[in-house]
Amino acid sequence: MKYLERRVIHGILLLIGVSVLCFLFSDLAPGSFFDEMKLNPQISSETVAALRSQYGLDKPLPVRYARWVESVLGGEWGYSFAYNSSVRSLLVVRARNTLLLTTLATLFSWLVAVPLGVWISNHPGKWYDRLSMGGTSLLLSVPELVLVFGLLYFAIRTHALPVGGMTSVGFDQLGLWGKTIDLVTHLIVPVTTLVLASLPVLVRHVRASMVEVLKLPFIQAARGHGIGPARLLFRYALPAAGNPLISLFGLSVAGLLSGSLLVEVITGWPGIGPLLLEASMSRDLYVVVGAVMSSTLFMVFGSLLADVMLVVVDPRIRVE
Amino acid sequence: MASKRKIVAAVMFLLSLHLAILLAGFVAPYDPAAQNRDFPFAPPTRVRFVDAAGHLHARPFIYQCVARPDGIYEYEESRELRYPVHLFVVGPEYKLVGLWPSRVHLFGVEAPAQIFLAGTDNYGRDQFSRILYGGQISVAAGLLATGTSLLLGLLIGCVSGFYGKWLDESAMRLAELFLVLPWLYLLLAVRAFLPLHISPTQTFLLLVVVIGTIGWARPARLIRGIVLGAKNRKYVTASRSFGASDYYILRRHVLPHTYGILLTQAALLVPQYVIAEVTLSFFGLGLSEPMPSWGNLLANLQQYNVLVSYWWMFLPALALVLVSFGYLNVANAFHERLQSGST
Amino acid sequence: MGTEAVGRAIKPALVKARALCKRYVQRAPFSRKKFVIDALMDVDLEIALGCLTALVGESGSGKSTLASCLGILEKPDRGEIWFEGSKVSFANSRELTALRPKIQMVFQDSAGALNPRFSAAQIIEEPLEIQGRESGARLRARACELMEEVGLSPDAGNRSPLEFSGGQRQRLAIARALALKPTFLILDESLSGLDLATQAQILNLLLDLQTSHSLTYLLISHDLSLVGQVADFVAVMHHGKIVECGSRQQVFSAPQHAHTKELLASVGVVEAAFRTAQVGGGQ
Repeated sequence: MKYLERRVIHGILLLIGVSVLCFLFSDLAPGSFFDEMKLNPQISSETVAALRSQYGLDKPLPVRYARWVESVLGGEWGYSFAYNSSVRSLLVVRARNTLLLTTLATLFSWLVAVPLGVWISNHPGKWYDRLSMGGTSLLLSVPELVLVFGLLYFAIRTHALPVGGMTSVGFDQLGLWGKTIDLVTHLIVPVTTLVLASLPVLVRHVRASMVEVLKLPFIQAARGHGIGPARLLFRYALPAAGNPLISLFGLSVAGLLSGSLLVEVITGWPGIGPLLLEASMSRDLYVVVGAVMSSTLFMVFGSLLADVMLVVVDPRIRVE
Repeated sequence: MASKRKIVAAVMFLLSLHLAILLAGFVAPYDPAAQNRDFPFAPPTRVRFVDAAGHLHARPFIYQCVARPDGIYEYEESRELRYPVHLFVVGPEYKLVGLWPSRVHLFGVEAPAQIFLAGTDNYGRDQFSRILYGGQISVAAGLLATGTSLLLGLLIGCVSGFYGKWLDESAMRLAELFLVLPWLYLLLAVRAFLPLHISPTQTFLLLVVVIGTIGWARPARLIRGIVLGAKNRKYVTASRSFGASDYYILRRHVLPHTYGILLTQAALLVPQYVIAEVTLSFFGLGLSEPMPSWGNLLANLQQYNVLVSYWWMFLPALALVLVSFGYLNVANAFHERLQSGST
Repeated sequence: MGTEAVGRAIKPALVKARALCKRYVQRAPFSRKKFVIDALMDVDLEIALGCLTALVGESGSGKSTLASCLGILEKPDRGEIWFEGSKVSFANSRELTALRPKIQMVFQDSAGALNPRFSAAQIIEEPLEIQGRESGARLRARACELMEEVGLSPDAGNRSPLEFSGGQRQRLAIARALALKPTFLILDESLSGLDLATQAQILNLLLDLQTSHSLTYLLISHDLSLVGQVADFVAVMHHGKIVECGSRQQVFSAPQHAHTKELLASVGVVEAAFRTAQVGGGQ
């Protein structure tokens, strides 16, 4: 398991790198949360200075970073000036919600992309291949921002789905079944947006790597042996095309998280996205850092998951 | 040659889009900031050929839009007078490409009628004009940010690939950091640390620099790969033996190899960066009203009643989609050509 | 044997190398493992003025490293190089600039040695342009002159090197190397990869140019039969060291080192080479 160990260390180094980068950027910034306060005539500049020193913002960068690391190790993740609470208490629930959204979106987009990509790769140039490729290239040029508004339009117009937030008003009074239904209906618009946005890239990659594999001699041989097309495609060709697709899985998490941020803000999903946006506006430094760190953490988990899958699927990597 | 024709078609489409945006003042019939308080959320004006009496006219015309006396934000056409659409009419003054003052517009109708091809917004401003002017901001931001990214990528990629060693090692580690982060998170985080209350010009430049800087990593990596391949060619060694400087070798023997990648990357990056600018403005972190950035135009949709009742408020999105579509087509055509050229 | 030794004593050395060492260290990122290759270990070599010295050896024996050290393309870790009696290894950058045109190289893979984006004439103009010797119309005229000199039609000046045959490309590379009027030409496997007839033509061209331009050659080759035909002196390299050095006759008729014997035996050209050596040596 040398390979996985290396990947874990790599991930940790990455997290450290991102946190250092965040603090470097924050040091370059000309203002802080409390400078916005100075604009308020009711707060004296002495108060602002006192607050600054209370939160250690007057200390040099290395000291601030060390304090933050200490706070992360202690499970606090820094302090939010705007909410007056530890960043972790803000992030945990939000992160869970974002994770729910992105996991479902990943799951569904792969569930659609793999069969579709495999199917159209079998007969490149057929009408359904050309239709899918045309469709994906069209979908590719529609940004998430536009997609989500389009879906919202239909959701509101048809009154079929609740819009905004994660739960309806009377959520707490509902039974378990009612709660599930309510959550699922709230999930449909954001998840569909994310699936539609990530679908074109995935379908194209699946198709491209399958087309490559289907040209290989062993597939021709298997075809010659009279193995049925479904078995040939899914049992023979797909595993051979697997490695680049698994790597793509690791990479696609980043795009999905970006899309998720936007969708969360627009649909009012209480994930990390709206929190980060709000913190960016009010320059709530540690919340911004915390949000970026948790998105990086998701990324690292995504690529670790891909690595584990690679190890399971491809025995050569274990040897390396 | 099919791929050549493809490139020409894709580039022509893109050029005509850009031309319309560049000459926004001429193509747009009205000033983008001019408000018509009597016509908030007026629907797109119908351009007609057949009048109320059933007569066919060679010149297209419109009917004047009037508010319905009984409703709010409800309008109807007054069928009494036809207002033919004329080409090259004199209208409000503007500066062509921001330089030459002019009053001539591509099309227009006689007052008091007004032609709103894409309807109006909540202040009764002509959306068609706003979309064109907004394109100037959004597309310019995308282009300039792409230039920044490619320049940074070219610089870092060249130095990294050419001089190697620890420089290369550290640059590529840094690139990995930038590549692995979700770009929107990074964008918001960086924006969070930068000043909010600054002049529109400063904000615009800030957006360009931030968006462009965040995307340096991918072009840098690609260019580094090409430089690595090119610098080990024998003709580079030969050039050294003639006493060529590093600069000469980069300019004559290495850089020409990167042009294809630069072009393809540019075509891929511009739409991404246009979307990045639109997203930031949409969030209120970019240029603010009354500047007509596409992000600001789309921000109207955040009110659910606007989203549902006034479908024409979606039209700025159409412009965004068209630009993305144009660039992706060009990128595909370039990519195909590069592939066929290399084999 | 006696005449050769005398000839060597009379002719002064154009290039002298003393105790050259070069080591390549490769390290994988984030790993302590190192791969060390000693390409040159205490190499001594003298190249006589106006002669053709051949450097032979298997691939990986360090020939090319020695060539690039002598061509001032790489710095040896230790050791000294003299060119025309002055020390190269410690020359400053201005002295190096003055020195570079005198030492030129012709590479093996002429397709890879010529930038495919340049035209034939541009390729020859490149060294002149870099050294700032000619400009404008004079530049093109000089390029045409050089093309004629190596037996290429100046009309072909606008064509891409990819349209040339292997032999023509090698002529182009030679013309380019001659552009700066060098005194010392390093032929790094310049004749490899060509068919025998073309090889003979290029060889004749090189020998003609040697007399007309009073050039000194260092021919790097793994092809002993070729070396046997043309070399005045032969040096044999093995594992980063020069194991044998002497006149062609000495090396081919009475090899001292086991590796030289092995090389000669494996090629099976001892006899043939010896015969030509005697013919050539009689002149």
